[in-house]
Amino acid sequence: MDLFFHYLTLDYLLKGIVLTLEVTTLGLVGGFAIGIVLAAMLLSRHRWISVVARTYTVIFRGTPLILQMVFVYDALPHLGIMLSALVAGGVALALNEAPFIAEILRAGIRGVDRGQSDAGQALGMSSFVLMKRIIAPQAIRTMIPAFGNEGVNALKNSSLASFISVQELTLRSTQLASSTFDFFSVFFASGLLYLMLTGGVSAIQLFAERALDLDRPRGKGKILMYLLPWRRYAEEAPPSKAPTVSDGVEVSEPLVTPTREARMTRLTNLAKGPIAVEIHDLTKCYGSRQVFGDLNLQVRTGEIVALLGPSGSGKSTLLRCINRLETWDSGDVLIGGRRVGYSSGGIVLSPSEVARQRVDVGVGMLFQHFNLFAHLSAAENIAGPLRWVHGWSQEAAAQRAQELLDRVGLGDRADTLPRHLSGGQQQRVAIARAIAPGAKLLLLDEPTSALDPEMVGEVLEVIRRLAIEDKLTMIISTHQLRFAEEVADRVVFLTDGNIVEDGPAHEVLSHPRNPLTARFIRVMNSGQTSAVAL
Amino acid sequence: MSIVFAKSQRQLLSAALFVSLLPALPVTTQAADLGSSQVCQALQTKYPQFKGKTLVDAINPHTPGYEALDPKDPSKYVGLDIDLAEALGSCLGFSLKYTPVAFAALLPTLQSGQADLVISDIYATKERAKAADFITYSKVFDGVLVAKGNPKNITGINLSMCGTTAAENTGFVEVPLVQNLAAPCKAAGKPVPQLQLYDNNASCIQAILAGRADTYINDVNTVDQAVKAYPDKLSKAAAVTLPYHIGIGVSKDNPELRDAIVLALGEIQKSGLQLDLMKKWGLNQGAIEPPTIISDK
Repeated sequence: MDLFFHYLTLDYLLKGIVLTLEVTTLGLVGGFAIGIVLAAMLLSRHRWISVVARTYTVIFRGTPLILQMVFVYDALPHLGIMLSALVAGGVALALNEAPFIAEILRAGIRGVDRGQSDAGQALGMSSFVLMKRIIAPQAIRTMIPAFGNEGVNALKNSSLASFISVQELTLRSTQLASSTFDFFSVFFASGLLYLMLTGGVSAIQLFAERALDLDRPRGKGKILMYLLPWRRYAEEAPPSKAPTVSDGVEVSEPLVTPTREARMTRLTNLAKGPIAVEIHDLTKCYGSRQVFGDLNLQVRTGEIVALLGPSGSGKSTLLRCINRLETWDSGDVLIGGRRVGYSSGGIVLSPSEVARQRVDVGVGMLFQHFNLFAHLSAAENIAGPLRWVHGWSQEAAAQRAQELLDRVGLGDRADTLPRHLSGGQQQRVAIARAIAPGAKLLLLDEPTSALDPEMVGEVLEVIRRLAIEDKLTMIISTHQLRFAEEVADRVVFLTDGNIVEDGPAHEVLSHPRNPLTARFIRVMNSGQTSAVAL
Repeated sequence: MSIVFAKSQRQLLSAALFVSLLPALPVTTQAADLGSSQVCQALQTKYPQFKGKTLVDAINPHTPGYEALDPKDPSKYVGLDIDLAEALGSCLGFSLKYTPVAFAALLPTLQSGQADLVISDIYATKERAKAADFITYSKVFDGVLVAKGNPKNITGINLSMCGTTAAENTGFVEVPLVQNLAAPCKAAGKPVPQLQLYDNNASCIQAILAGRADTYINDVNTVDQAVKAYPDKLSKAAAVTLPYHIGIGVSKDNPELRDAIVLALGEIQKSGLQLDLMKKWGLNQGAIEPPTIISDK
């Protein structure tokens, strides 16, 4: 036991720790640097880049670290690259760690819900902003445990540098055991030293997890308690349910359904206005299945169009094509006269350029599943994009966010995370977010179909007000016939990617001419809102 | 706390110094004189490229007596090979840096240029002489390490080893010698000997202590040290003479260093320093071998 403590405090072994940490640090820092590049390459849209990265990953993940160490140390000098043992060990460890770190990064990035990047793109974020502000902050939270693993692994793997004469802890231990014959005392001491080092890595991991925990308990004295292994996370506060159908939504005056004459006047006026959206011979296939074949549609400025049709008829895809979240095979989409997804010279735009174009033409989008940024408060969901995409100042963005939250009746929930809001509240925040930069065209993809029935009303109410007060051009895909009749100027009925009926809302809904439309309306009105088999 | 520690360490150091003063005195003086001897001065003039340089000596520091950590001060390596390297350095005017590697990595380290020479109780065999040039300095005497009382009755590298398990280090010359027993053992109708390959002496000795292996055949001095450390558990069964010499390895690209070492080593042996060093480390003094180059294309 005395010998054990003697070796545990032996300066010679403690100095070995320094070298162990140096090799590990080189390995992890270098591994991260290479790993980030590798992950970016693996996720690249260009096939040959991802093939290069994949080849590297297969080779360096698939060969033993000890061979890589010996290669860097003993083979590179023959090529004229002479690295010191410490650097050679660090470089080999970095080359070996990189593919593992790259895969953690890739898994983390791919693990972020697809809707998050849809929403970011729809808000006009460039790929870089999207990665920096939306994807990375969410991915990092899921990646920390894996990084903790990788840190511990790297620390233990650094012991293989003993094979290339780096005087780290393991090499020092074996040499000491050889000269003193005190095998067990020496190895138990060095084992305990390793345990302390890896314990340090675990502590860093837990601190990082805590620091990034969006629901972390505030206040002092809780930090240590938080790190105890038997501590369990407090039950998450349940999302507060909206107590009434229209809680908080200002109802200043009851909205009266306009008369038939008023509608006709409005239609006539709209028809004289400029064209907002023009879809020309749009064709799109998923593999051998055709989604659209030569689809044509025009929407006038200020017009509100309801897209109706059974599930799978192409409503969502059409909306996603209009702001280029989806590509198509042939045909054109023009917003305000500009060809979506192409430069004025007809060249296909990159994702970042498309994002810029969305900002320029002023198109916003609302999603079925809200797609609020999960790591940002309600206010920040609105203010963030204003700052990052539109260059607003901190104050102006915050003020605008508060103003819009007040308007959708959520002024008191500004600091709440999306997951603590009810579905209806989340969609109201999403509406505020979509119109915040002053969008002229709003695409609404089944905005109420993911909501519990009692929350549908509050969201429709907000959209209805938007239609009246903001005079936006809107294209709404929906199953809510009554809402369509009240709000929409025009109804477009889509089935199997074809427009089979297109006319004034009241007319189409009360006197459908196409038998498919008639059947759909009949089924919907009889309350069978789901599984519409047509 | 730290003061107390420093004091006790200083006491330990001075005690150690006092104990080692009498026998060590002539050795130290001789080593210091060496650099100023006429032959060494002449060599430094003839080979100026080594003067003032730091050469890297690759060692496998798991052989107490030849090269191992100083148990009293683990930041230093000690042993005959270390003293010999320092003596060569003072004669030719270079200083040394030691790089510890696995035994099997000694010659690759030299070949890759990560080391300038190898002085590490390595036997200059014909095969190894293809990878490096060697300068001999000692004959080889091996000992057979076995568990206390020699339960398997092993008497050397002979038919007594049939059916036993030997622990050896990867790359040791004893490895093929044991492997070559397979045919005679089979002819005698006995099972062939098994080999366990390790990376250093400590692991081989552990293999016997743990009952995994029956014997470990290596330099007799290493065997004696192991028996001294575990007198209740280990014993030396026999001594074996092998037809090899221990040599200093030098890169084939560096014939001048090789020639300089031959001449410097001759001077060291002539001055009686090597004999004193072997006495100091308790090695068989009859083993001294004059410097001869062993090289194979």
